[in-house]
Amino acid sequence: MSHPRWLSWTWAVPALFLVAFLAIPLASLGREIINPGTASYLLDPLPWRVAGLAAGQALVSTALALAIGLPMANVLTRYRFRGRRWALALATVPFVLPTVVVALAFRALLGGSLGSGFAIVVLAHAYLNLAVVVRIVGARWITIDPRMELTARALGAGPWTAFRTVTLSALRPAIASAAAIVFVFSFTSLGVVLLIGDSSTRTLESLVLRQTSILLDFQAAAVSAAIQALVVGSVLVWAARQRALQRGGSARPMRLIRPRGRARWAVGAVAVAAALIVLAPVLALVWASLRSGSGWTLAWWSGLFGSNTIDAGSTRIGSPLSAMARSLTFALATGVVAAVVGGLAAVSVLTGRIGRAFAIATALPLGISAATLGLGTLLAYGRPPLDLRATGLLVPIAHALIAVPLVVAVATPTLRATDPRLVTVAANLGARPTRAWWTGYGPAMRTVMVAAGGLACAVSLGEFGAASFLARADGPTVPLVIARLLGRPGEASFGVAAALAVVLVIMTTTLVAAVDRGGRRT
Amino acid sequence: MNESESGGLRAIELVIGYDAPLHDPFTFTIDPGSVLAIVGPSGCGKSTLLATIAGLTPALGGRVEIGSRDITTLPINERRIGMVFQEALLFPHLNVRDNVAYGPRRAGVAREEARAEADRLLTWVDLEGYGDRSIEHLSGGQAQRVSLARALAAKPDALCLDEPFSALDAPLRARLAEDVLAVIARARIPAIHVTHDPLEAQTMTHGTGGGYILSM
Repeated sequence: MSHPRWLSWTWAVPALFLVAFLAIPLASLGREIINPGTASYLLDPLPWRVAGLAAGQALVSTALALAIGLPMANVLTRYRFRGRRWALALATVPFVLPTVVVALAFRALLGGSLGSGFAIVVLAHAYLNLAVVVRIVGARWITIDPRMELTARALGAGPWTAFRTVTLSALRPAIASAAAIVFVFSFTSLGVVLLIGDSSTRTLESLVLRQTSILLDFQAAAVSAAIQALVVGSVLVWAARQRALQRGGSARPMRLIRPRGRARWAVGAVAVAAALIVLAPVLALVWASLRSGSGWTLAWWSGLFGSNTIDAGSTRIGSPLSAMARSLTFALATGVVAAVVGGLAAVSVLTGRIGRAFAIATALPLGISAATLGLGTLLAYGRPPLDLRATGLLVPIAHALIAVPLVVAVATPTLRATDPRLVTVAANLGARPTRAWWTGYGPAMRTVMVAAGGLACAVSLGEFGAASFLARADGPTVPLVIARLLGRPGEASFGVAAALAVVLVIMTTTLVAAVDRGGRRT
Repeated sequence: MNESESGGLRAIELVIGYDAPLHDPFTFTIDPGSVLAIVGPSGCGKSTLLATIAGLTPALGGRVEIGSRDITTLPINERRIGMVFQEALLFPHLNVRDNVAYGPRRAGVAREEARAEADRLLTWVDLEGYGDRSIEHLSGGQAQRVSLARALAAKPDALCLDEPFSALDAPLRARLAEDVLAVIARARIPAIHVTHDPLEAQTMTHGTGGGYILSM
């Protein structure tokens, strides 16, 4: 097969990107840590106490996400019923919602009864991560033959024993894997704990932000980030070991089960409960954007689209409209950068060993928290002699780093599925190497790049953590404006924040739905 | 191993189906050590009949008895009917021995005793020394033998075989059919064998003392 010569160098672009915007920031962070004063920071009980609080909160969030997500995974992925596909798509919604939107939605839904603190934070975390449990455990569950449990019953096991000894045992690696991801997300949560948490729900991520932006103690922040990375790394290694234990199961999904008799009621009840759980916070958000103390109102929406800056005493929050324009610009830039870098990384998988290694390296940002990434970038490029903050480039670059692993994950399987012999056929018909390659892979590349770019846009629109480190005070993104609005009292700021959050939900879900539809068409 | 006679399996005016009857009511008796082969094309209801007898699907009418026990409304785990499916359906997280020991363990047999029993049965199905193996390393025929040993280890009063050989190639199918017949005769339990292959139905019924074929 004749590949064009330039193809063996495609890894160079993602490699340069990773070195410049991941390796150098991490090295800057490392430089802060390798310092004589670090020992005193390590002996400081504060980060350890916060790590303990965050671990407790993350464990409860994980248990709750599993308790709600497992019955949902069972019903939505294994049973046949009317509206199943719709319900499954609905279950993904919480995961694509920006964290600040979820925090605001939970405050609108439960803030009156629960206030701020532990209970509402773990509920919001469980909600955000429902899709992780449903997708990961559901994907495994659907490969387990339901007759396996029947066989156990025929061998004398009661219904619960059969479920526990057969199905639950086979699901254990998938449950462990999902639990690890939920734990990591909850342990490194920032938006939710800042907006609806209290001192009992602090995370190392929020501590890093405080140490960086308020205390300006970069060394302490770097040590906190390192402690967090240590915990996250250990959990991810444990999850990888659990995944390695997975065996058996069919390669293909089983036929869906048609529920009969009492099972029909149980399936119906779980499906309706799942829909209510997913929709309730979103509906509460819409409700909050249309209500004031005196009844229905459109004031918050008109406040949103007026170009006047919202003034909160000494804090100028900025115009929502200009924040929307800024967020869209950042999202577009992120989409282009992530599609090019991620696309080239995916193409390099098709070539040599170096290409494959670099494609794997592009997944690294997934394991690094937004605060670590934001702080590292700030240390490397956000202060003299090289201060890029004024250029407005840092936010889309950090967002692209976060989005590149998703682009690679979307693009690689599609490119791998393309028959490489198409290139040979084109070459045999007289096409030059580049032309022949494009004839073979071009159609897949085009669709994948648009879809992956759209996904990266959606990530950027809702991202809060890195933006809170890197955006300039006078240039906030939409999630930052929402957070600022929630930080001040009064129903007007809450109403405008709710309206802004609804706009963000519409923009994000439209993008993800378009990407999903495009992906299905290919 | 159940080497004592369990009593015959009787279906009396048994009506099968999900929401409406799929077939006229069935009435038949299978003597201990005999095989009833149910043969018919896909979708004719033969697997539903088997599922109804095993307790996977409730009967719409009539009765199922084993010996003097009426098992019509008993839950599947109290019927004492061994099932072997087209796929071996071995539990992936257990090794070969623990798969076979699963039934005795559920009946409250101590772990070591259940494992010893499993080893005896593995010898019986020509898999001596395979106990410690992972089920991933078994061939299709070996997996099906383990599945048979597992069904027998629970000391069933009857055996239901749902196209147990159809995933195997022809020579293996013939050899395994002989072994299964020997096991049924030795255990002296009634067996139902569902197949879409008339030749296989003949093999399974001619090999035992009194076999019957039910064409659907």
